[in-house]
This record gives sequence, C-alpha cells and structure tokens, in this order.
Amino acid sequence: MSTTDFFTAMEVSASGLSAQRTRMNVASSNLANAQTTQAAGGGPYRRRDVVMSSVDMPNLQGADFSAAVKGVAVTQISQDNQPPRLEYDPGHPNANPQGYVAYPNVNPVEEMVDMITASRAYEAGITAMSTAVNMAERALGIGR
Amino acid sequence: MLAGPLDVAVDLSTVNTLQQALTYHRERHTVLAGNVANLDTPGYRPVDLNRTTPDDGQQLAVTAGGHIATSADDQIVTSFDDGGALQSADGNAVSLERELAKIDANRTRYAASSELVTRRLALLRYAAGDGT
Repeated sequence: MSTTDFFTAMEVSASGLSAQRTRMNVASSNLANAQTTQAAGGGPYRRRDVVMSSVDMPNLQGADFSAAVKGVAVTQISQDNQPPRLEYDPGHPNANPQGYVAYPNVNPVEEMVDMITASRAYEAGITAMSTAVNMAERALGIGR
Repeated sequence: MLAGPLDVAVDLSTVNTLQQALTYHRERHTVLAGNVANLDTPGYRPVDLNRTTPDDGQQLAVTAGGHIATSADDQIVTSFDDGGALQSADGNAVSLERELAKIDANRTRYAASSELVTRRLALLRYAAGDGT
C-alpha cells in the first residue's frame, strides 16, 4: 500500500526551496535598509527575521509513517526588537535633540551569513528534488 | 521430438518483492527530503524509515535497510527518530551531509531494484517471444 508518490517528495522539497527563498528575500531587505533612518511607521527600519516551522503534508494519511513526512513553511516574519544603533551626527535631519541619529539594528555580516546559509540549504533542496526526478525516470524506464 | 511437457515458468513473485522494495525506497526518499527541507527549522529532529517483513523462518535474514526481503508477505514500514547528529542550539539535529549521503544511497538502491525488475521482465519477454 502506498501513500506517497514522487510528487509528494517534490512538494516536500519545494516547500523547503520556497522557505529558503523567503529567507533570502528578508535578508536582502535587511541589507537594503541597513541605513534607512526613516521607515514607514516612523523611526528607523527594524531588522526582520523569518520563523520556520515544520508542517504536515496534505493528502497524506493511512500508513503509520505518514506523520514522519514533514514539509517546511515560513509561519511568521518577526521584527527584531533590539535597540537601534545610535550615531552622533547633529547635521542629519533625523537627529534627536542630543544630536544622535538612530540607525537600523541591522548587522550586514549577520545578514551575509544568513544569505549564504539560505543559499546552501536551497542547493541541498535542489539536490533532493533532482534525486526524486531521477528516481521517477528510473521507474518510467522499467520494462523499456 | 519433445521430451515431455515444457516445465518452464518465469517466477514473477520476485517482481512483487522488488515492487515492494521500490515503494519503500520512494517513501524513504520522501521522508529524507523532508529532513533536508527542515534543515533550519528550530527543534526539528530528523526521521528515517525502517522496514521489516513477517518472519516465517523460511527466508533470508534482512540485516540492513537495503536488503530485499524474500517473503511474499507485505512489508511493514515504520518510522523512527534518527537523532544521530549533534543537536544545534535551536534544537535542530539535521546533518546535511548525513541526509544527502542517505538520499544518494537510497537512490542507488532504487536504481538497482528497478534494474532487476527490468531484467526480470526482459526474461519474460524473451520466453514469450521466439527467443531472439
């Protein structure tokens, strides 16, 4: 009795690829706004972070191992509430009365590390997906 | 002149067994792909599949996951927590290398089983044809 097919495996890998791409977008957004002192809603830009959770795959039930098959999803994009970085620049239009400008709490090195990690995880997902394709092609070749 | 009836049979029960092996490897791939997808999910623990067949004392021992069971009975597939990797600070215990190595080994076993099915069927086709 089978409860999965190759498309399930590809959907699982696709969920991982999609989550890593979202993470990459968030890291790019953080880098792009590393100097944004006036974000929508007032104050400097605040760093965003993705929250990933494992999710059950739909249409999968029956066998006792179906609960073992987990995809992944970005369930929330949270805001980093660490205080902004203050720099003394009295001439800046966004300087406070003491002459300090609040810059975003973005650390470019941290974002770069996040992007590289996301990129590696994306590649791993591609490998898993092409393996599923390879196996499906093998199955099609039976009896040829 | 034929010396008695032709007692030739292509034993197709092997194909059933191999088909079970193919199903198992496909399902295992799905589970392993889930481990790779959850590479950065906090608290995720990798899982793996294990399969056994009812032992009637008439079959070869299945001592490793890749072995093909000789029983015609249905295989029993169960999942287990494979927390063999060092757990990171966020509780995730997936090791990318470990999972990719398993995926590759699993794919090779799938290829081997599908090749055996192909050969089995080729034998049948040879027997059913005119022997060319």
